[in-house]
Amino acid sequence: MSWNKVAVVGAGLIKMGELFEQSYEQMAAGAFDAAVASVDKGFEPHQVDAAFVATQRGTLWGQEGIGGNTIPTAIGLAGIPCTRIENACPSGSDAFRVGAMAVASGVHDVVLVIGVEKMRDKSSEEGLLSRAAAGHPIFTRGETAPVLFAPFATRHMHEFGTTREMLASVAVKNHYNGARDPYAHFQNEITVDDVLKSPSVCHPLHLLDCCPQTDGAAAVLLVNAERVREFTDKPVYAAGFGVATDHPYLHEKDSFTEIKVTRMASQRAYAMAGVGPGDIDCAEVHDCFTITEILDIEDLGFFDKGDGGRASLEGDTSLTGRIPVNTSGGLLAKGHPIGATGVAQITECWWQLRGEAGERQVETRNGYALQHNAGGRGSGVAVVNILTNRTDTS
Amino acid sequence: MTVRVLGVGAAAPELRLRAADVGAAWGRGGRGEVAVCAPDEDTLTLAWQAADRALAAAGVESGQIDALYWGTSRPPFAEGPSFAFLAASLSLAATVGGALCAGSTHAGMEALAAGTDAISAGSARVALVIASDALRPGPGTGFEARCGAGAAALVLAVDGPVTATIGARVTRTRPFLDRYRGDGEVDNRDMYDARLFREQIFLPVVRDVAENLAAFDVRAWSLPDPDGRLGAVLARDVRAPITTSSTIYGAIGDAGAAAALLGGIAALDAAGLVAIVGTGGGRTTGVLVNAETPVPGAALTADAISGGRPASYAEALRARGQLRPVGETIPMGVPPESAMFVRGADEMLGLLGGRCVDCGTISTPPSIHPHCINCGGPKLEPVALARHGRVHTFVVNQTMPAPFVAPLPIVVLDMDDGARLMLQAIGDGSDIEIGRQVALVLRKYAHERGVPVYGFKAQPKKEVAS
Repeated sequence: MSWNKVAVVGAGLIKMGELFEQSYEQMAAGAFDAAVASVDKGFEPHQVDAAFVATQRGTLWGQEGIGGNTIPTAIGLAGIPCTRIENACPSGSDAFRVGAMAVASGVHDVVLVIGVEKMRDKSSEEGLLSRAAAGHPIFTRGETAPVLFAPFATRHMHEFGTTREMLASVAVKNHYNGARDPYAHFQNEITVDDVLKSPSVCHPLHLLDCCPQTDGAAAVLLVNAERVREFTDKPVYAAGFGVATDHPYLHEKDSFTEIKVTRMASQRAYAMAGVGPGDIDCAEVHDCFTITEILDIEDLGFFDKGDGGRASLEGDTSLTGRIPVNTSGGLLAKGHPIGATGVAQITECWWQLRGEAGERQVETRNGYALQHNAGGRGSGVAVVNILTNRTDTS
Repeated sequence: MTVRVLGVGAAAPELRLRAADVGAAWGRGGRGEVAVCAPDEDTLTLAWQAADRALAAAGVESGQIDALYWGTSRPPFAEGPSFAFLAASLSLAATVGGALCAGSTHAGMEALAAGTDAISAGSARVALVIASDALRPGPGTGFEARCGAGAAALVLAVDGPVTATIGARVTRTRPFLDRYRGDGEVDNRDMYDARLFREQIFLPVVRDVAENLAAFDVRAWSLPDPDGRLGAVLARDVRAPITTSSTIYGAIGDAGAAAALLGGIAALDAAGLVAIVGTGGGRTTGVLVNAETPVPGAALTADAISGGRPASYAEALRARGQLRPVGETIPMGVPPESAMFVRGADEMLGLLGGRCVDCGTISTPPSIHPHCINCGGPKLEPVALARHGRVHTFVVNQTMPAPFVAPLPIVVLDMDDGARLMLQAIGDGSDIEIGRQVALVLRKYAHERGVPVYGFKAQPKKEVAS
């Protein structure tokens, strides 16, 4: 039986990209306005009882010492309770989970979950590349973001014969979807050849195997399921969620062919929602690099271990495939404004379950969509949220 | 007391700089080549490498060393814990005595003399003597294309198998200026006048010392040769049957404070009397070593200093810190003077792990693992990690901001003791594959705020594991 104690009644995001012209606060206000405007029966901002904000790297990107207080002022709601969630790349997913628990607890009836991230206010070198100088002075020296996932690609290729073409097919599919998502950072289609011939970033990953650095914000409105009809007649519910942790450093990993936390978090979410991988109609998964999506679709149980490369190459995850993955364009095309990423993925699931995804709309036979992020140095944490449009289980 | 030489070891950087390339930049010619340090090498990492080999050759454990004598013209700190960093990286006991000799290229001879005296006096039973250097000439100076790098190490002891013993010593001190750098200066200055140096400074005093030793039946000589000609003059003067130092100079150039001992240990590969002469900073010292049998490790000298990859002049200048990018570089997340480096000093320099008393799993580094990564148990005992392993998976990072230099291979290793490590690898990554065997060697990970940050890197071995 799905959990279904909390409903998503509004969701929205701003156009992702290098938003040099927008402040952190302006991006947040844009996402909040979009979510408010999306509520079927109307929504007044002051109806928000509390907010949870996901921003992962405020200390690096111009929001030094940020707490929960920046967002209420930015959206005209100074005074409301607001807490910042920072939990690596799943920050937005986890803010959703925590927000849902706050509603289910009965403490708050209406909660705003908002993810905001400024990735481009400092130079690329000071941004993601600064990771190379962060952390342990020996064991993580030189560890830029691709170093966290490229070793998995090397090992997956070694054990399962996964090829660069298979990796590239993930980027090609996600750019195809992104070209059909007006909110995506990249709106252009690419070919396998484009990916193969792009410059090497971190062997075996090339430039188009990597997501861009993107500014962005996204917001969703959660309400107690008992009050959902005040806001919409097309509700989408939080069916279940799961979180899992693993050792943070790569040298502590048991395996370089799976992201263990993804498997563990999804098993917990499936159990809570009372479904299995076969019940999921579409999924927004963490594709910071092409190899990550191949690992995801195996570890989430959509495909057997080692089969993710073949499945991607043969179109099993395309809009018309067996299990459409990253219909929004994913992190690779839509972008990865870290705190906003999970919330934006939930927005896509919400649209898909309401039949509002336009050109990207897939068939939602079972009425379940899955959203996933993993991160935290060497994939030390993952969050999986499952949403449903089914009311028969509540 | 008799001072025995139980074993010796040598080291030199892999990079080679052609004298013709240096000459071309300044409108001159040039012949031969010299060894130059990569950005992650310096006098300390070379000293570590030579000492590691000497200890292995001697069959001596690091914990047996009572005293360390290290001679170099260029310790990594002008003032600071150079000696202590080297001792920790070699896993020497915290009670180790000894001295850092510096200030001129005579420092290697000073270390040898001090180590010998410590054994003779009975203040140490086993002493480790290391001479290492990496000369940093001023760009465009006459001796630039002659300046090399290398290291030699000797394990001295009062007991042990009879191999070689250290004998007579001759020394001279004269207040003359030869090659120097002033206080606060980083590059060596050129000689004021080459003829003045040759005729009035170098030849009279070095010849005096060498001729004193030539009274004995010397089989092989190590003689100083700062300009590529003076060594031959001296060899002719003493009628040297073998001059092992000329081979060393030919292979790696002038290794400064390490040059005399490198030539000396190379000569210990056969029985007979060896004369070692070193000079610099107005001092010249000669020492006789009597090899009754070949000394363990001596025959490996040529291999240990054999060259590898050619370096362009620009690459050599960049590695020496004489060619710098404009703009800010990315600082370390943890400043190298901060508490983390105090907590982690022994585990980083000595490469320690924590072995779980309950399940045997090794968690590393210990300071961030109060509990076992496998069973969660709270009882971990510190252990020295294995230095050999094989590649489980790897990447080659191609996108690196300054101060990093791409390509930068990073490897996940399954070590021989079951521990797993992730470390930078040496080289451009083209020789790395899953299953490749590696050995860990000390290198410099960063140099920031005047602090060199040392740690172990993976050196791929030539053969592939089956």
